[in-house]
Amino acid sequence: MPALFALARSAFQRQFAYRAANLAGLVTNLFFGLLRAAVVIALFEARGGAPVAGYGLRESVTFMGVAQALIGWVALWGWWDLLRSVKTGEIANDLQRPVDFFWYWAAQDFGRAVSQLLMRGVPLLLTFGIAYPIILPADAGQTALLGVSLGLAWFCSFAWRFMFSLVAFWTTDAMGVARIAIFVQMFLAGFFLPITFFPDAISAAIRLLPFAGMINTPIEIFVNVARGADALMAIALQIFWAAALYLGARLVLASGIRRLTIQGG
Amino acid sequence: MIYFRLIAASMRSQLQYRVSFTLDTLGAFLSTFVEFLALALAFGRFGGLGGWSIWQIAFLWGLTEAAFGVMDMLFSGFDPASFSQHVRRGTLDQILLRPVNLIVQILASEFVLRRVGRILEGGLIFVLAVANLGIAWTPLKLAYLPLVFASAVAFYGALFVAGATLSFWTTEALEIVNVFTYGGTTMASYPMNIYTDWLRRIFTYVIPTALIIYYPALFFFDLPDPAGLPVWASFLAPLAGFGLLALAFLGFRFGLRRYASTGV
Repeated sequence: MPALFALARSAFQRQFAYRAANLAGLVTNLFFGLLRAAVVIALFEARGGAPVAGYGLRESVTFMGVAQALIGWVALWGWWDLLRSVKTGEIANDLQRPVDFFWYWAAQDFGRAVSQLLMRGVPLLLTFGIAYPIILPADAGQTALLGVSLGLAWFCSFAWRFMFSLVAFWTTDAMGVARIAIFVQMFLAGFFLPITFFPDAISAAIRLLPFAGMINTPIEIFVNVARGADALMAIALQIFWAAALYLGARLVLASGIRRLTIQGG
Repeated sequence: MIYFRLIAASMRSQLQYRVSFTLDTLGAFLSTFVEFLALALAFGRFGGLGGWSIWQIAFLWGLTEAAFGVMDMLFSGFDPASFSQHVRRGTLDQILLRPVNLIVQILASEFVLRRVGRILEGGLIFVLAVANLGIAWTPLKLAYLPLVFASAVAFYGALFVAGATLSFWTTEALEIVNVFTYGGTTMASYPMNIYTDWLRRIFTYVIPTALIIYYPALFFFDLPDPAGLPVWASFLAPLAGFGLLALAFLGFRFGLRRYASTGV
């Protein structure tokens, strides 16, 4: 456990070395947030401002800001560290460490995620909140649910990315596969628009997939669209997917290691 | 001409890895298609966006994406992310030593074939838009459309060249340029009247993204400009696109004189 903590802390600190890149990323994410907010406002104007399934204008505008703020938290645009280490063979060193391989990477990714949230997510949302009136979780209970949901969102996204990176055990084209997965995942996670905005049958189906829990679920709790029993149900689904993805990741890892050959010494 | 020989060689090498090429092309197709899909699926609940139908937006979207894709393929060498590597690693020295025009060499140094995915995506959305819009085509409109497309390619190329030029000073790729290139394409994919005034003005008068596709689109749809610019604003696209590209190349020549090798 202390080893995992140290790993997370050093990954957290490492992010602060890239100050200029993080600032540029923050500005870009914010710009896209402002554009998406303008799109949502125009969509609601066409409807005369009437809410859609609990989403009023303010909830929807806030959704766009929070979605941009969560990009780093769930590494939405991809995460290549593990994939590269499989490709280059560095993985041989990591497998010999006295720390479980899954948690070795999980700890580091958690450190990365926390620093991204603090360095990019929070400042983005604060700035976004100056440009547009946003709403916050209604009370302490809702904030606690948000915390739990955000934690699960990170874990689900990590287990999914971990599993995907290990595709590199089987094919040299893992990068291409992962890139396709990223874009499909963005759509299914509700990154572009709240899943509720899609036609009923489609949104009902997408909600059941693991990706909704990575972006859409925590934001629905953030903007108080999912409250009480609804929020608990959504979190229960996140827990289910967290367990399923964890098992999946373990299985892929076990069968990948069995066929792993490290070249050279 | 040496440019075409270099490009042909680069294309052959990229096609060696068929699976990899196919996957990358599909990825490039999906990269912005998923966003359009999300908008199109949600449109049923809203029925309009700034007074525009989904197919009118598809017209903007398809043209912008296809033009950016073509530019991204032709101007890959000037992509600030890859050009700054030449500056940082000092490999620009080698290019400078060769007795071939510098700009031709940089254009030929990279030709990313997988961008074809994005061109297909834009093309598909544009064709769907035109099929569903019932535009009142006139000879002038038909003649102007390819010119608008070429202007858009030139315009986004100018942004890449300008971004590359900055790396003479910074040696690092300035990621902030992404706001104008990638952010600019997203912005240009929606009608400009949905944006707040200051944003719309910046992207009309400072970086004239709006003049490139949006104002010509108003002409194709026979719509008046809600911001009140006269009709001829729809015909500034070639001037803005090619004018900026010429300026960008001038700026590049100026920046080059300031280039100091990092030494390797």
